Amino acid sequence: MRNKRQNGKCVRKRAGNAVLRRCISISVLFLCLGTGILGLTGCGDGNAQYGTADGGKVSGDTASHGGEREMPAVADDHAESGNEKAASIDFDHKLDAYRPLKKEYNFYFTYKIVHPWWDAVAIGMEEASKQYAERGVTISYEYLAPRETSAQDQINRLSEASGRGFDVLGVDVADVDIVTPAINDLIAKGHKVMTFSSSDADRDDGCDRIAYVGNTHNYEDGALLTEELCEKLEYTGKVAVMVGTVGAPCHEERALGARDVLAKYPAMEIVETVYDEDSVEKAYGLARRLLAEHEDLKGIICCNMSNPVGAARAVIEAGREHEVVIVGMDHDQEALHYLKDGTIYALGVQDCYSIGFDTIQVAVKIADGQLPGELYPEKTEESTTIIYQGDAVAMLRVLYGEIN
Amino acid sequence: MEQEQSLSMSMNEKQKKQTIGNAVAGGVIIAVILLVTTIWVSNGARNGTSQAVSRVSDFYLEELAGRRAQVVAEELRTNFSYMENAIAIMDESDLESQEALRRFFGRVKELCGINKFALVDENGIIYTEHSTTTGTGRYNFLSEELTVPIITTANLYGARKQVILAAPVENVEFQGARIEVCFIQIDIEEMLSSLTSQTDYNETYWSLYHRTGEDLTNNDFGNLEAGTNFLTEMQKADIYGGFSYEQLKSDFAEGRQGQITFHYEGSTENLCYIPVEGTNWMMTVLIRNNVITEQINSISSGMMRRGVIQIVITMATMFAVFMGFILQFRKNASMALEQEKADGDKIRAAYAQIEKEKASMDNIHAAMDSGFWSMEFNEKAEIISCTWSDVFRRMVGYESEEAFPGRIESWINLLYEEDKEQAVKEYWDTVMDYTGNKTYDVEYRLHTGHAGLRWFHAAGRLSRREDGSPICFSGLFVDIDDEKKMEELLEKQKVDLEDALAAAQHANRAKTTFLNNMSHDIRTPMNAIIGFTSLAAAHIDNTEKVQDYLAKITTSSNHLLSLINDVLDMSRIESGKVKIEEKETSLPEIMHDLKTIVQADVTAKQLEFYIDTADVVNEHVLCDKLRLNQVLLNLLSNAMKFTGPGGLVGVRIVQKGNAPEGWAAYDFQIKDTGIGMSREFLEHVFEPFERERTSTVSGIQGTGLGMAITKNIVDMMDGTITVESEEGKGTTFTVSLQFKTCAGPIRQEAIPELHGLRALVADDDFNTCSSVTKMLTVIGMRSDWTTSGKEAVLRVQLAAEQGDEYAVYIIDWLMPDMNGVEVVRRIRGIIGMEKPIIILTAYDWSDIEQEAREAGVTAFCSKPIFLSELREILESPFTVRDTENTETEETVSFEGKKILLVEDNELNQEIAVEILQETGFVLDVADDGAVAVEMMKNAKAGQYDLILMDIQMPLMNGYEATREIRALDDPEVANIPIIAMTANAFDEDKKLALDAGMNGHIAKPIDVSILLEVLQEVLQ
Repeated sequence: MRNKRQNGKCVRKRAGNAVLRRCISISVLFLCLGTGILGLTGCGDGNAQYGTADGGKVSGDTASHGGEREMPAVADDHAESGNEKAASIDFDHKLDAYRPLKKEYNFYFTYKIVHPWWDAVAIGMEEASKQYAERGVTISYEYLAPRETSAQDQINRLSEASGRGFDVLGVDVADVDIVTPAINDLIAKGHKVMTFSSSDADRDDGCDRIAYVGNTHNYEDGALLTEELCEKLEYTGKVAVMVGTVGAPCHEERALGARDVLAKYPAMEIVETVYDEDSVEKAYGLARRLLAEHEDLKGIICCNMSNPVGAARAVIEAGREHEVVIVGMDHDQEALHYLKDGTIYALGVQDCYSIGFDTIQVAVKIADGQLPGELYPEKTEESTTIIYQGDAVAMLRVLYGEIN
Repeated sequence: MEQEQSLSMSMNEKQKKQTIGNAVAGGVIIAVILLVTTIWVSNGARNGTSQAVSRVSDFYLEELAGRRAQVVAEELRTNFSYMENAIAIMDESDLESQEALRRFFGRVKELCGINKFALVDENGIIYTEHSTTTGTGRYNFLSEELTVPIITTANLYGARKQVILAAPVENVEFQGARIEVCFIQIDIEEMLSSLTSQTDYNETYWSLYHRTGEDLTNNDFGNLEAGTNFLTEMQKADIYGGFSYEQLKSDFAEGRQGQITFHYEGSTENLCYIPVEGTNWMMTVLIRNNVITEQINSISSGMMRRGVIQIVITMATMFAVFMGFILQFRKNASMALEQEKADGDKIRAAYAQIEKEKASMDNIHAAMDSGFWSMEFNEKAEIISCTWSDVFRRMVGYESEEAFPGRIESWINLLYEEDKEQAVKEYWDTVMDYTGNKTYDVEYRLHTGHAGLRWFHAAGRLSRREDGSPICFSGLFVDIDDEKKMEELLEKQKVDLEDALAAAQHANRAKTTFLNNMSHDIRTPMNAIIGFTSLAAAHIDNTEKVQDYLAKITTSSNHLLSLINDVLDMSRIESGKVKIEEKETSLPEIMHDLKTIVQADVTAKQLEFYIDTADVVNEHVLCDKLRLNQVLLNLLSNAMKFTGPGGLVGVRIVQKGNAPEGWAAYDFQIKDTGIGMSREFLEHVFEPFERERTSTVSGIQGTGLGMAITKNIVDMMDGTITVESEEGKGTTFTVSLQFKTCAGPIRQEAIPELHGLRALVADDDFNTCSSVTKMLTVIGMRSDWTTSGKEAVLRVQLAAEQGDEYAVYIIDWLMPDMNGVEVVRRIRGIIGMEKPIIILTAYDWSDIEQEAREAGVTAFCSKPIFLSELREILESPFTVRDTENTETEETVSFEGKKILLVEDNELNQEIAVEILQETGFVLDVADDGAVAVEMMKNAKAGQYDLILMDIQMPLMNGYEATREIRALDDPEVANIPIIAMTANAFDEDKKLALDAGMNGHIAKPIDVSILLEVLQEVLQ
């Protein structure tokens, strides 16, 4: 696990923009070939159009899930076929060789909000639990979230769970500043607390949590998606930045990455940054307003899962799907359809399944009293894959079983 | 004529060709007909087969699809029932807490085998056995309110198609929220795992589609890729048989069953689809059309091929048969001729083979030394011919039939007598065994004509008639003489080895016992010696006690010495060092010595003792007196040892008349009435170290070597010794010896002066009476005998009254009813003093001599009495004759005699000096031979009267010293008497001493009486 993590970091460091662009160029070529072979109608042109673009790229991290699976180090972007891109989401996980010290574990996880993104994480957890059961180890867990994002609700949930004898408490940090003291308090009381999925609160944030499993490169994800958009817009035009929850680290980091990239190109201008609080409806409303208020708006950068759905709906509604370029995060089924029909230009798909799977593995080790080091890293990094129109069909098929 | 013949032949030839032509044409026509009919039949069969296979294929597809649809429907129904049962068994206690609910899920899992059973509450929280989660995004069916049970699929993240069986739940609350739905999630691949998706050779496929055409499995279906929408793809296919795509779509939409044939992506397929009961699913099974057509073509072409081959074979067979007939006719004649020739050759070859085999058999028999023989029998089992092979004859030593005729008697006559009966009996038993089971297999000896008696092995069997009577008896005959002799030799060696082993083991055990006994026997006298020595030292002032102790010490010492002597004697005998030295010996002298030796013990033990010398004609013989004496003394000592007071011990010498000229044979019988020996011990009585009762038990001491020594000496004297014994009754040893005679036999003629006169013998011992009576008869007297003294007196009285008085009276001294002296006195009272009366006694008569002579005894004669002694007494002028008492011994005074004692051992020096000084000797001592020689060199003549010379000394031994002394210049000094006084006590040692020039030999330990006797003798 550690080696893979180190490899991931190494690639990330080397993988500067130039390298990534070259990879993307190659991947576009392969994707064309792939789509041609598959005979997927409507994909070829779109891909050819983007083939020369220096945009789509992987968030840079190869991720390290532990276990026996191998994650692609860097997605070859356009050069990969849709199926290959989809295959980069690895569902063939196997538990690592670690032998749990106990026969039964009981975990409590709370995340930001009830949302399909975390439903995918739950499936990874389910699979890991199933594999432990095959080894004679029973994993029980609660995986609960509020209907609306609330850091205070998270604290309440953690506090309530701390009195129920769970082996490990896990939290997807809704707000670093608010939740960190609560985590530290639990740690001080002898509870084992970890963070997972999308948002961490680490040492730099003053948090004493034991480990984190999830996306550790939100900034890069935001930056890379923005690079894609800039390239598509030929580095000129006005864009809007949509963010999820105020204070949510992953969202904020992506937004920061986006702003930093846009700052590099003088002809690019941010017209507005808005927060949808992880609500598609709110995203839709915000997008409608942006489109209405900025008739020359050329692009929308979406930093969470609900942003691109709302943005796409609004763009289609406004009939400006051929004018406004949308890039966004995650694998919402509706968003994938918008990607497929070209309304969305690129999506950064996080490997939620692996996040869920590795979260259970790391939780078991933490419950056994193992500290980060030989057995698992302090941060288990999971990958993000940038997909395009040509990848949408395969991704829909892989993630949702959609065929035609 | 020739023209006619030529014409006739031409016509025949033409006719023949025409016949052949007709036959060929007929054959061709038949072949064509067969070919045409075969093709016609094959085509018909092909069509029929095609239709049949097609129908079977349709039926097969329908059956296959139907069964699979049924299995899937059944699986779903079962799971629904599980789910219903699970809800039914849920009670309030299961809903008390999260833990209780999880236990409920666990129970459901155990009872129904449902892996993932879940409850969903109104807040969208999903409860399972091990998880509680929010988020229903992955379950689309939860987006709408559920009112009836449904079967749906979920394409979960990861494309793992799941079957969801969901049902609404009523009246259940958990933690304040209503449970609205329960569902089971089944991995569709696991559910269908029991159905294979493809069958034989990848030509048959099945799949499950939604009625919309959506693929529910992850498998390819013919040329349709996994996941492809079936109905969409079928738009591209060519559907045959007037069936349209719309109809197919309609069938799917309505859930109708159907079958179609279609062409898609280069393949023609046969498809069957059947709705799965209770679902919107269609089970589809597909088989490649080419599989069916290829099968039909294969069958048809096979039939056609086989038909053509059949025709060809038929025609070829007909042609071959036709040609065969022609050839057969031509060959028949020549074959008959050849057959006759071949038969003749075979017979000749068979005869040659028989001759060859016979010669081989003869060679084998000759090589193996086995002779063949045979006999033929008539129906009455009588021999009608008998054949002995030449080898057989040669083996028994005969060369020709004349010498060894072909009759069974030839063989019987050669049989060794001991084997004849058995060999002949076996022969006839075998012949007469009508069952035919018996095999003749006998070993016997024959008197061969060339090699004497030899062993043979004969074996044979008979051929028989149906009634079992013999026809021919044949067999082999092998010379096994060498093997037999080897067997005998080996057997003998084996027996010898076993005997030797047993003997060795027995001897070993006996030696062990001997050592134990010796330990005891030596320690006993040693204990006495040491003990009494200590006592003597303690009571040195009490002369009486000291004398008593010294006497006991002497007794124990003597006993110890005898033990040592016996052991050494045995050792020397066994090592062959003892030699028999024959010298002229007087048997009477031996017997008298014997009597003298044992008399004291006899008296002490109050035994009855006699020596009988009847029939001894040759009293002087050449024998080793010492050894004979040793034998008799051993036996006699034993007899006395094992006979209690009042018992009888006797010695009887019988001269046997079977000795060759110049020899005399004797039996020496030593008899006692003692404790006797057991039968078991008798077998070992002459073995070394054997004692029936160990001395530790019986209290009778001995080495166990006496009998062995005796036996060895007897053996060395070429005699025999036997023993008869019975426990509690007594023992008799008989020693049989044969000696060369010397001085001729004792004169047997009568004494003229006494011839015809009467003699009276009175002795309470019958044997003595008998013996003396016989001797008197030899002398020519008429003798009477009686065992009673009183009767003797009466007989004398009677004889006197009858006027036929006895001329000689031989009266025993001690008789129970009247002692001899009294008898003599009474007889003298009757007959006066004229006639000689001789007292016969085994005792020293010196004490009674005076009284006896006053009573009228003329002479004394000691038992045992021999003929020569009796004759001498009767011939003598009846003077008192007592060698023992009349001998006047010249005694020599030792006072002042000088002895040079040569002795290296100081203790021995001291003993010798003490003894000799006490008897008056004056001694000088030399502690080595060399010193003695020096002293004698310097001695004056007459300085010493005698030298007592030890043998083993450090610088110069006694032999060497003697030689040097004898070699001294002064003859008087050189001839000084030298007596060996040494522990080298054997005969050869004595001989060596004498050879070295010594005058005598005294063995250590010193027996004072013997020492003085020798000194007396030498100094005289």
